[in-house]
Amino acid sequence: MDFNIRRKSTRTAISGSLIETYPHDLQMYKVPPTENITLQEFENLALERLTLLRTLATATTLKGLRLYSDEFTDFILSELKNNGLKYYVKLCEKSGCGSLETDLQARRKDHIAHFILRLAYCRTEDLRRWFITRELELFRMRFITMKAEALDAFFKINNLYYTNISDEEKSDIIINLRESTQHQNIEHMKFYKVKFYEVLDLVRSRKVFIKGGYAYIPHKDFISVLTAQYRTHLRQSLAIASQHLKEIEQDERIVCLLKGLHQSYSGNDYSDSKVVVPIESLDSLSLKSFPLCMRQLHEQLRLAHHLKHGGRLQYGLFLKGIGVTLEDSLRFWREEFTKIMEIDKFEKQYAYNVRYNYGKEGSKKNYSPFNCLKIINNNVGPGECHGCPFRHSDSSNLKNKLKGYGFEPQGISDVVDMAKKGHYQIACSKYFDLVHGTSIGLGINHPNQFYEESQKLQKGDIKIEPKKEVKNHSTKVEQTDLEDIDFDENLIKI
Amino acid sequence: MVGQYDENLLSDMLPIYYAKLFPQNVFCRWLSCGNYPQPLGNRELSFTLSDDVYLRYLSINNQKELQTLFQKKCPYKLDIGAVYNTKPSIGRHDSIILARELVFDIDLTDYDEVRTCCKEAKVCGKCWKFMVIACEIIHTALRDDFGFQNILWVFSGRRGIHCWVSDHEARTLDSPGRSAIADYMCLITGGENQNKKVNLGNDNLHSSIRRAINIIEKYFKELLEDQEFLSTTERLSTFLKIIPDETLRHQIEKVLDKMPTSSLQRWESFVDIYNNYCKENVTAIRKMKHLIEEIMIQYCYPRLDINVTKGFNHLLKSPFSIHPKTGKVSIVFKPEFARDIKLDEVPTIYTLLDDASPENAQHQTNMRTAVKNFQEVVFSLEKTEALRRKKYGGNSMEF
Repeated sequence: MDFNIRRKSTRTAISGSLIETYPHDLQMYKVPPTENITLQEFENLALERLTLLRTLATATTLKGLRLYSDEFTDFILSELKNNGLKYYVKLCEKSGCGSLETDLQARRKDHIAHFILRLAYCRTEDLRRWFITRELELFRMRFITMKAEALDAFFKINNLYYTNISDEEKSDIIINLRESTQHQNIEHMKFYKVKFYEVLDLVRSRKVFIKGGYAYIPHKDFISVLTAQYRTHLRQSLAIASQHLKEIEQDERIVCLLKGLHQSYSGNDYSDSKVVVPIESLDSLSLKSFPLCMRQLHEQLRLAHHLKHGGRLQYGLFLKGIGVTLEDSLRFWREEFTKIMEIDKFEKQYAYNVRYNYGKEGSKKNYSPFNCLKIINNNVGPGECHGCPFRHSDSSNLKNKLKGYGFEPQGISDVVDMAKKGHYQIACSKYFDLVHGTSIGLGINHPNQFYEESQKLQKGDIKIEPKKEVKNHSTKVEQTDLEDIDFDENLIKI
Repeated sequence: MVGQYDENLLSDMLPIYYAKLFPQNVFCRWLSCGNYPQPLGNRELSFTLSDDVYLRYLSINNQKELQTLFQKKCPYKLDIGAVYNTKPSIGRHDSIILARELVFDIDLTDYDEVRTCCKEAKVCGKCWKFMVIACEIIHTALRDDFGFQNILWVFSGRRGIHCWVSDHEARTLDSPGRSAIADYMCLITGGENQNKKVNLGNDNLHSSIRRAINIIEKYFKELLEDQEFLSTTERLSTFLKIIPDETLRHQIEKVLDKMPTSSLQRWESFVDIYNNYCKENVTAIRKMKHLIEEIMIQYCYPRLDINVTKGFNHLLKSPFSIHPKTGKVSIVFKPEFARDIKLDEVPTIYTLLDDASPENAQHQTNMRTAVKNFQEVVFSLEKTEALRRKKYGGNSMEF
């Protein structure tokens, strides 16, 4: 089946009339804009799209809304309205192919803004990943809210032609389609055959019937094929963009803006710590300043004198982030592990990993501690106890654990309820308040942020010696400022 | 008995094993085929030497170099890595991985929370049945669902099995693709803090899950009797924790507690109680429609080490490498005969090289069968590769 999206034939089309350039609300952003715009407009468009993308991020990570649920879409739309971004409301609420001047202008802004942010977000792997995730969420949300006529038009405009499987073929596998496809009225749907790797998201979640390497999807599921292609396209474009950054950066007016844009959102990755924390204080720190995910790893380690690989990675990097030095870290793990094994075995099998975390082995990267998103989405297998306790625990186990810590019942049930509803980070924030006897309702997106916030609260209670050699002093100060901005933004009201 | 052999003998025996018994020729052909269009030399091999020293980024250009390398280093363990864009010894960290077989690693230690006969490194005929089920389920899925044809199954030498998929599509699959397949196959999730590790939801069961259940059903009674999942108070309490509905759980606990300890009988009563309960409580069924299936999966479904499958550059023990602790050969077996494997009939380096050993004749035969199995897979792979190149790569036939 031919499923290639052909490029618009010429670039000059872009400078042609707007209706030819922008026939549809939903675009695949294949061709960059070539018109001249003012710096002011450049900046405005960039900031407005950033607001849009941040709203998407807030909806899932901080509000804990399920992607593409009604509440999710409502939240996005109301936030956009509050921010006065009418044209995005229009594009997100009911994608269509109208031809009013306002329609065309909205699409033009959407188009230009998308390409500006590509420049701002192509710089590092983390930024690229963040940007791609958000843009894909946006694309999918707009696709889902699209009306049937607009959908047909979209396929036509983008030259998406394909043929469905024959009735005989369909009746041969109708039982499987009914079992494995999550749609009603399978009988009346046309099915299409694509290679399984074109719809990986459906394969992963077992929402599609696959046979002999082919996935059988109805029209509706073509969004999976489209997003997969769009993802690949974006990834490649961003890689290319990053190679050409130097050329763009010759224009100083744009450099500052582009650099400022993503920095205001990157936050801290906690890969370098500014303080030294002695391992002797870990037991006491774990009670108050460790988020639950780290506290349970610490307890497990003390109890079993062993952690599986996933746990060592998650906990080891966290410890590095709070300021445990490599030497201390080695000593810490060695002391525990050698209670159940020969020192020789530890040195051979485990010490490498500790040094690896600190960027001293293998590819020698300075790995940053995991953030909440990564921990929440981690796979936790039998015998392992890393991951996010609010996601990876049965509520009864979570409840018992918190009871064991001696918290009051009301507080415990608040935490457990949030976890049950799938608001893991909010549950964590409630846990923070429970431990500290506060009601701040902090937005938590990183275990090391939990730790630092807790330390700030108890300032003076625990002695922390400043690290002796501080290189690149200026850049670090800058980072600290950013960190604060980021956290303030994340404050949420519940 | 096998156990009395001394690990220190290995350094004397390995050179002979590599020269006389290791199927060097087929091995090189297998790797070359899996490397195409990159030369054999771009594949990473890794050796573990006698004193646990790892040598990474080794490579060979032909069988002769393999033989030389074997004699020079005498590896206790041989691992296979990915195919790079250059010779891995030159590129090291900067080289790019171009291809890698799609691999699966199943280890019996991951079954420790369900198996009752052995723990950790130990294996017996009873718990080997978990591997038989795993092999059948994964092999069927790879063949029927994903359409892969060149699938190699290898006994890991101690307590698990490995699977190598060499189809071109599998070898060149990117990380998201690998991770999607791994997730598609992985039904048991959750760590120490989750008692119920399988959640199938309330919709129809996906065809692949239905098929897996059918496979498990073939063995389930046997496993219940072998493993006695429900016979002691402790095992029963672990089992009860999986049941999400409190009323049902109490009902079951009351009945099973008073019964004879036979797990099979207990299981049958559990199924009866569950069915009756669901008949009476229409709302209950909505919450745990597939409870029976979920529990069967939790006890018997393959427990994959998915990080091995997801990772592009994970090293995996080579077929016909010797397991340094057991001396056993990592033999290649046919998935349809996984059931017939007897662990004490797996050839060891000691018995193979000792004419006087009572098992010698038997182990020699088994070794020959294993090499034949390997050959069959490699020949069929060479055939499909030749066809594929004819079809697609007319101009890239430079060698």
